[in-house]
Amino acid sequence: MNTNNSNLKTMKTNFLYLNSMKTSKLFVAAMFCLTLITSCSDDDDPVIINPEELITNVTLTFTNTGNATDIVTMSSVAPDGQDGSFTNIVVGSFTSGETYSLDLAITNESESPADDVLNDDIIPEADEHFFTYGVNTVSMTMSRDAGDVDGPDGNKLGVNTTWIAGGASNGSLNITLVHEPVGSDDSNNFGTVTGGEEDFNITFSGVSIN
Amino acid sequence: MKYYLLVALSVLNLIGFSQECDHIFLGELSDFHDKTPIIGATIFIQNLDKYVTSDIDGKFKIENLCDGEITLVISHISCETKTVKFMVKGDIYKSISLEHHIESLGEVSVTGNATKQETTTAQETVLKSAVLKRYSSLSLGDALKEVPGVSSINTGNTIVKPMINGLYGSRLLIMNNNVRLQDQEWGIEHAPNVDINSAGQISVIKGSGALAYGGDAVGGVVVINPRRVLLKDTLYGKTTIGGQTNGRGYNISTSLNKTFASGWFANVQGAIKQNGDFEAPDYNLTNTGLKSNSFALQGGKKAFESGFELYYSYIDNEIGILRASHIGSIFDLERAINAGQPLVVNDFSYDINVPKQEVTHHIAKASYYKRFKNFGKVNLQYDYQNNKRLEFDVRIGDRRFIPAVDLRLQTHTVSADVNLDSNLDRKVNFGIMGRYQDNFANPDTGVRRLIPDFDKYDFGAYTTAEWQLNDKVIVDAGIRYDFNRIDAKKFYLKSRWNERGYSTDFSDIIIQDFPTQYLTNPVFNYHNISASAGIKYTINDSNEVLFNYSLSSRPPNVSELFSDGLHHSAARFEIGDLRFNKEISNRVSGTYNYSSSRFNFLAEIFYNRVADFIYLRPFDFISTIRGPFPLWEYQQTDAELYGIDITAKYDVTNNIKLLNKTSFIKGNDLETNLPLIDIPSFNTNNQITYNNEDWYNFSASLKSEWVFEQNEFPDFNFDIQNQLTGQMLTIDISTPPPAYHLLHFYTEATFSFSKEINLNVALGVNNIFDTSYRNYLNRLRYFADDLGRNITLQLQLNY
Repeated sequence: MNTNNSNLKTMKTNFLYLNSMKTSKLFVAAMFCLTLITSCSDDDDPVIINPEELITNVTLTFTNTGNATDIVTMSSVAPDGQDGSFTNIVVGSFTSGETYSLDLAITNESESPADDVLNDDIIPEADEHFFTYGVNTVSMTMSRDAGDVDGPDGNKLGVNTTWIAGGASNGSLNITLVHEPVGSDDSNNFGTVTGGEEDFNITFSGVSIN
Repeated sequence: MKYYLLVALSVLNLIGFSQECDHIFLGELSDFHDKTPIIGATIFIQNLDKYVTSDIDGKFKIENLCDGEITLVISHISCETKTVKFMVKGDIYKSISLEHHIESLGEVSVTGNATKQETTTAQETVLKSAVLKRYSSLSLGDALKEVPGVSSINTGNTIVKPMINGLYGSRLLIMNNNVRLQDQEWGIEHAPNVDINSAGQISVIKGSGALAYGGDAVGGVVVINPRRVLLKDTLYGKTTIGGQTNGRGYNISTSLNKTFASGWFANVQGAIKQNGDFEAPDYNLTNTGLKSNSFALQGGKKAFESGFELYYSYIDNEIGILRASHIGSIFDLERAINAGQPLVVNDFSYDINVPKQEVTHHIAKASYYKRFKNFGKVNLQYDYQNNKRLEFDVRIGDRRFIPAVDLRLQTHTVSADVNLDSNLDRKVNFGIMGRYQDNFANPDTGVRRLIPDFDKYDFGAYTTAEWQLNDKVIVDAGIRYDFNRIDAKKFYLKSRWNERGYSTDFSDIIIQDFPTQYLTNPVFNYHNISASAGIKYTINDSNEVLFNYSLSSRPPNVSELFSDGLHHSAARFEIGDLRFNKEISNRVSGTYNYSSSRFNFLAEIFYNRVADFIYLRPFDFISTIRGPFPLWEYQQTDAELYGIDITAKYDVTNNIKLLNKTSFIKGNDLETNLPLIDIPSFNTNNQITYNNEDWYNFSASLKSEWVFEQNEFPDFNFDIQNQLTGQMLTIDISTPPPAYHLLHFYTEATFSFSKEINLNVALGVNNIFDTSYRNYLNRLRYFADDLGRNITLQLQLNY
C-alpha cells in the first residue's frame, strides 16, 4: 500500500513542477500590477491649517452716554483661538445710576492684518447668529437698541446695546455668541437661546459698580 | 475537540442497555497537531479481519462487537501507521490522533468542520461558521464575545472594538486572511473594518503567543480565515437574508465558490446591511443608523507542492453616531449625565446625519507557496491596504459637509515564511517581514490635525519551534525581533509646545516656524524583542494542561505620541506625549481542560504585567473661550492585569445541554495603586439548549447574561465652577452604571432539500424583557441607554 502511495505522489509532483512555472509567472505579474496601482507618497511638508473663523480677541467697551471719559473695557485674548487658553481683563468700574452704550470688537489677530470677524462675518450673517448676555450679582440691566442689527427669527442680534448700572455691587458678566441657534428669544433683552453652537462663551469676573 | 465529542455523542445516542456482540465502536481520527479530521484512513480490525474507512469528518464505526479487546491498525497516506488496542465493554467512543503532515493536511483536505488551531500552548478559542452565522447582521466585535474573557469597548452599538482580557486597540492584532489589518486601530471609536460574513473561521488567541503574526500583541491575536478550499470539482455557495425589528434593519450576504480537483479555485462573496435608528426601551436612539457594503474576491491554485492566491476585499461603512452625544462645553456633558436620557430624540429614520463616520478599507493580497522535498514549505506574500476614514462632526455653515477628520492610511507589506516540517517531531518556522506605511491627513478639513502625516517603517524576523517530546508532551518556543521607525511631520501650537516642556527636550526637531505654530519632524526608532514558550501536557483522555509564558513589546502608536487637540467627535481634548517609551508585557497563563462524554470544563488563568502601560484617562478640563472642555491625557504607568475565564458544559441528556461562561478580571495601576480604567466587570452567561437532530436539527436556547457593576474603578471625577453663577459642579465621568441582567432566546432548524441544499431558519429575541441598561464599556453610556428588545429572523440557504 505504501509503495502505491509514493508512486502516486511522484506522479503528482512531476505534474505540479510543470505547473509551478506557470504559477510563478502569474504571481510575479500580479505583484507587478499591484505595485503599479498603489500610489507613491510625496515627501513634501504638510500644509499648515489655520482654522477658519478663528476668534482671538473679544473686547467690550462700555462708554457712559453722558460722560465719554467714563469707560469700562472688558477684553478677552485667546492667542490660539477658541480651543486654546485665554486671558480676561476688566479695566475700570461702572458708576451707579449711569447709562452706558456697549461697543463690541471681535477680531482674529492671528492673521496680519487682523481679521474683523464682527463686521466681515457675523453681521453679514446676522440671521445665523445671536448674542446673549448675562450678569451675576452685579446689578445691571440691558436693552437691545432700536438700531440693533436684525438677527434670527425677528430678534435683535445684540450687537448694539445699552446698559444701566444699578446699585453698588460686584459680580460677573457673560457674553455668548451662538451660531445657528435652533430657537432664539430677545424678549428679556439678555436673550435666551436653544441649540446651536457657541462660537464663544466668555465670563468676565471682577465687574464692579461704585 | 469538545465539539466533536458532543456531535459524536448525539449521533451515537449512547444508551447503556446492550447485549453481547452488538456493541458499537465509534472512532474519530484527527490530526495530532491541528485536530483536523483525517479522512479516508484505512482501519484494519485485526480481531474481525475487517476493514473500514474514516468518513469526511474523520469518523468510522465498527458494529457488532463483543466485549473484549480489539486491535486496530490505522493507516493513511502520509501518516505513520498506528496500532491501538481498546477494551470493549458496551458501546464506546474513542478519539484517536494520528501523526500527520500538518501542512499537507491543512491544504489537501478540507471539511466544514475542520478546526485548525493557530497555536499549540496558548489560550486559543476557535469560532466556527455555525457560531459566526448568528452574527451575520452584527460586527466582528460582537461575535468575538462568544469567547469568555473577550468583551468590547463600544461607541454606541455599531462601533464595537474587541477587547481581550481587558486590552484593546493597538494591543490586539487582527489578521484577516493572513493580512495584518492596518486600519487606524488607535482610536477608541475606530472599529475593525472586517465583514463578519467573509469569515469561515475565527481564532482568538489570548496574549501574544502567535509570534509569526507580530510581537506587539500585548492583549491578543484574532485570526480570521475565509472558508477553506475544497479540492474537488464543485460549485457551492450560501446566501443569508436577515431582518431585525430594532433599527428595522436587514442584511443580505452571499458567497459562491467554484473549485476544481486540480486545485484551481475562485470565490466571490458580498454583503450589504442597513439599519435605521435603534431603540432603547424608552426612546429612539436618534442618528444610530448604519450602512455597510462589502465584497471580496479570491482566486488561485492550491496544490500540495505549490500554489498561489490573489485576494481583494473591500468594505465601506457609514455609521451614524448618537446625535445626543455631540456636546459643546463640559456643561453640556454635565447636563447629559444628569438628564439620564438623551437630549435629542427624534422620530425613527434611516437617515444618517452628523455626527457620523465613513470608512472604506481595501485589501489586496498576492501570495505564493512552494514546498521543497525534505525541507519544508516557503510562503511569500505581498499585501496592500488602503484605509480611508472620514469623520463628520456637527459643523456650521459652509463647513457642514466637510469632514473634521480626513485620514488615508496606506500600508504595503512583504513577508516570507518558511515552515520546516520534514521532521514531524520537531517543527521549525521562521520568517521575515517588511512594511511601509504612509498616513496622509487632508488639510481641507480646516481643523488642526489630531493625527499627523507620517511614514512608518517596520521590519520583523521571527523563529518558532515545536517539539513533540512524547505522546503526552508538546513544547513550543519562539522569539521575534521587530524594528519600527516613525517619521512624522507634525504641527504644534507654540503654546502647547511650551506647556508640554518640549521646548527644552525637542527643540532640534522644529523644521519650520509659523506665527502661532511650529512644524516639527519627530523621528522615533524602536527595537523590540518578543518571545514565547509553552508546554502542553495531556495527562489522559480527559485531562489536559497548558502553560505559556510570553514577552511582548509594543511601541507607542501615533495617537499616544502625537494627539494634541480637540477631538471633535469626542468633544474632548486629547493630549499625547512624545516622551513615551514602548510598553513591555510579561504574561503567564495556565489552562486546564477536562473533558468527558457529558461534562467539559475549561479554565484559563492569566497574569499580565505591563511595564510602561499607556492609557488615556480623563484629567480635568481646559478652559477656552467656548467654555471648559474635558481634558484627557495619555499616561504611562506600570500595570498588572489578571483574571480567569471559565467555560463549563454539561449534557443533562442527549438533547438538553447547559453551558456557563464566566470571566473575572482585575487591573491595577501599580504606581498610583488605583484600579485601571475601562476594565470589564465580572460577568457570567448561562445557557440552556434543547437540541433534537430528528426534528430538522432543531435547537432552541435561552441565555442569561448577567453583567455586574464594576466596583473597582479609578475616580477621575472633577469639579468645575460655572464662572457666571459661581456654582460648583461635579463632573461624574467615572462612576460605572449599575449591574444588569438580560435574557436572550435563539432557535433554529435546518431543512435539507437534497444532499447539498439546505435551508437554515433562525429566530432570535435579544433582551426579551426590554430591560433598560447601560454598559460601563460603552462610551455613549453618559448619554443614552443601550438597545431594547430586538427580534431577528434569518434564513440561510446553503447550496
